[in-house]
Amino acid sequence: MNNLFIASTILKILLIPAYRSTDFEVHRNWLAITHSLPISKWYIEKTSIWTLDYPPFFAWFEKFWSMFAQFADPNMLVVDNLEYASWETIVFQRLTVILSELVLYWSLQRYIRYFGNQYVNWLVAASVFLHPGLLIVDHMHFQYNGFLYGILILSIVEAKRGQLLLSGILFAVLLNFKHIYLYMAPAYFVYLLKAYCFTSDQLSSFSIQRFITLGGAVIGVFALSLGPFIHQLPALLSRLFPFTRGLCHAYWAPNFWALYAAADRCLIFVGKRLGWIMNDAALGSMTRGYVGDTQFAVLPDIQASHTMILTLIAQIAVLQLLWRKPTFDNFLSSLTLCGFASFLFGWHVHEKAILIVLIPYSLMAANNKLHLRTFIILSAAGIYSLYPLLFHAAETPIKITFTLLWTLMIVTGLAFTMKTSIKSILHPVEVLYLLGLIVLQLYSSIVHELVFGGLEFLPLLLTSVYCGVGVIYGYLLAMINVCFTC
Amino acid sequence: MEQGPACRGLQLLTTTQTSWTIPLICILVPLLFRWIVALNPYSGFNTPPLYGDYEAQRHWMEITNALPSSQWYQYDLDWWGLDYPPLTAFHSWICGFIGLRINPDWFALDTSRGYESPESKFFMRATVVVSEALVYIPAVWCFCRIVYPQQQRKYLVLLLILMQPTLILIDHGHFQFNSVMLGFALWAINGYLTKHYLLGSVCFCLALGFKQMALYYSPAVFSFLIGTCISMPKKQQGLLLFCQLGVTVITAFGLLLSPWLASVDDLLQILHRVFPVARGLYEDKVANIWCALNVIVKLRNVLSLESTVRLSLCATLAAILPINIHLGMSPTRSRFGYALVNTSLAFFLLSFQVHEKSILLPALPISLMLYDEPEAAKIFMNVAMFSMFPLLKREGLVIPYFGITLLWNWLFGSTSFSSSTMINIIKQMIYASIFIWHVTECWIVPPNHWPDLYTVVNAIISCGYFSCLFLYFTYRQFYPSSSSTNVFGESSVVKIKST
Repeated sequence: MNNLFIASTILKILLIPAYRSTDFEVHRNWLAITHSLPISKWYIEKTSIWTLDYPPFFAWFEKFWSMFAQFADPNMLVVDNLEYASWETIVFQRLTVILSELVLYWSLQRYIRYFGNQYVNWLVAASVFLHPGLLIVDHMHFQYNGFLYGILILSIVEAKRGQLLLSGILFAVLLNFKHIYLYMAPAYFVYLLKAYCFTSDQLSSFSIQRFITLGGAVIGVFALSLGPFIHQLPALLSRLFPFTRGLCHAYWAPNFWALYAAADRCLIFVGKRLGWIMNDAALGSMTRGYVGDTQFAVLPDIQASHTMILTLIAQIAVLQLLWRKPTFDNFLSSLTLCGFASFLFGWHVHEKAILIVLIPYSLMAANNKLHLRTFIILSAAGIYSLYPLLFHAAETPIKITFTLLWTLMIVTGLAFTMKTSIKSILHPVEVLYLLGLIVLQLYSSIVHELVFGGLEFLPLLLTSVYCGVGVIYGYLLAMINVCFTC
Repeated sequence: MEQGPACRGLQLLTTTQTSWTIPLICILVPLLFRWIVALNPYSGFNTPPLYGDYEAQRHWMEITNALPSSQWYQYDLDWWGLDYPPLTAFHSWICGFIGLRINPDWFALDTSRGYESPESKFFMRATVVVSEALVYIPAVWCFCRIVYPQQQRKYLVLLLILMQPTLILIDHGHFQFNSVMLGFALWAINGYLTKHYLLGSVCFCLALGFKQMALYYSPAVFSFLIGTCISMPKKQQGLLLFCQLGVTVITAFGLLLSPWLASVDDLLQILHRVFPVARGLYEDKVANIWCALNVIVKLRNVLSLESTVRLSLCATLAAILPINIHLGMSPTRSRFGYALVNTSLAFFLLSFQVHEKSILLPALPISLMLYDEPEAAKIFMNVAMFSMFPLLKREGLVIPYFGITLLWNWLFGSTSFSSSTMINIIKQMIYASIFIWHVTECWIVPPNHWPDLYTVVNAIISCGYFSCLFLYFTYRQFYPSSSSTNVFGESSVVKIKST
């Protein structure tokens, strides 16, 4: 494990000069805000368009780093220095990502310790620590997901150990770092309620004392987080939950709505031929690439409430299994599938959220052959859907080579631990799908430019739809697997 | 090295992977790191008016596609005139041909000087990677299969040779095409090891035709071939081989120079460009004996240009003659390996107009024997990287310098198990001096009257360490140890003879 750490740290340091997205400036801005301004201004400040929209613990996290930032380059901490990116700033911020991943490293060490010190667990830990998704999103695009998934895995390990209260507290802490993990909150709620608050299978064994302890602890965490911001609470909440942003992000996440929107586009095409009356405003809107309320021409419009209902239905399908049999394995599958459901049906999902499916699923990948099969397809489609985040030519060979290496080592390794050959895991259609990803990559990088020369949205649309098919297929496989093996 | 991470990692993979994934991994990992280093700036990035080696290569792609071959060595020589032999020109022509189909602006005659864009940078970086993947990487793969038939060892050596830091930093960072020349030279070595002398010689001609720096190997190659001809069981066989080799070499060069064979002036111009004798004994501060002596005696001021040429020639000959005669007397594989190292290192230390990047030439044969001479190989690589640091720092390649060098050292594992305490002490002193140099260079500003203090100190101590390594490798050539008898697969040959 130490060797893995050394190799990956060198790799990540070598990636310091890679492409940085606007998220780099976002985090620099937050370093500046938390360092230079008083707490009362943190959620009000809007000199930069990249306003603070993560919960308070993350703001404190940024403040922690800003204390060291002043030794690297004090100019990065000036709020007005928009787009400031001196070499010292870049190195410093990249190093903060690498250092914060120590939490992930520690959590994976605990994972190996408590899940069994066998090769398969080491392999899973290695696959998470060097996940191509984390490499692309954290170390190039620039975010802090590794650190956050570290906390999630710590929470899962505590649940495995039976320390459910601690697990709940860790999850509450995680929620106060990044609220996207609310996607998984129902699974935690059901599991902690049933497994912790009920001391046995009978409904009568509800322990008020445990319920109050758990509730108190969680409320305590939230109070600690939100307490200092009590006067800015409305501003904070509106920053955290900006519901005006539209059903789909500028680049469609490969979820159900991407397929829905693609279907709408196809139907527009058919409709024009057949002379249907369609929503004119919608005809031009969605492919322009900006963020706004999406309108559909042929299929019915979707409101935020619709997405919430669909998500809840999908989650309840899994949660009821968890309620009836609250074992750890069911908990792990529920939290993955709840996150998955939110990814598929949620409102304004970012493509980066696919990590919330991929990383917890890695912990389940070696459970049985069907899980491994799903893991392969899901990982391929999911990681590929992150490729458009790095749209410069210079990073393309890196992301592809790294994904190939990761796949080679992890998939063959996992197949070995399950004593199956790789050929017998996947169905031929699935193999064709994976080969199709190669064709798609060739098209997006080379052929499209030559054939069309413009129409930049087309490769992105194709990527979203193709990966969406893979992701939804993976979801269905996972659901079948979980629902029928319980 | 047996306990190093690379070895243990490969052992793990061998037991848990299907057999075809391991060579693939051993090639994909070096490729990944090449692309990562390629993210960094190249030589002359954003430094008008002249830019650097990247612009030179781009310019050659431009002129070979826009002008007839008679003009290639004549056109506007002040702006990066072509100063490598014809195969580089042909190679540039191919790259430029493809590049022009993608975007004509990149190589438009005269108007594209200093052209810099992310897409053209990606294309140029891609030409280096593809050229390397077509020539050098298969050559290394072939070498490993010839010399280490045991499965695991050949993959370990493959990975470690391919991850060798000097080539990655110069070719994929600074920007050059040394891997093509080194690849052809390695194909020549592969040919000679498997007794395909004619094919090997053709490859060596290609290496020479790509960059004249391959001349550093030529005494060793020549002595090896002569020795082989002489030591053939029948005199006629030897003579026949000698004639065949002569004809092959002349034909190969004839083909390379064919566009210019019609005009003696053209040929002389090519010679003039490829061997610029008027430039002086040394350029810049290189880890070379003459530069080191420059601190004490300014040879440039004391002797005339011709005298310095003669001095350098005599010193070099004095160093390489014993080595190559020793090889010629008994052209075994391991002596060949050592002779390559010693000859190229002697040229580096004593020759004319050496620049830091020439260390790549001794680096190749040393990396080929890293399994049998792990300590020396490791020290050499680290000193070689250290000697190139001033160049790399000028181009903003500090992070990959530390990253790739540390990565390679880590993969290699420690080598302190075998040797005596004396050698360990020397090793620690070498690394300590390098470390101290880096720390002081980073924190302490040099005094005003000695602005190049650090570079000069770097050159002097690197020269000292290279000289020690040269003495060591020469000693090993003349007095092989038990492990060094397997250099270049010598002991497998011996086994075949004895059974």
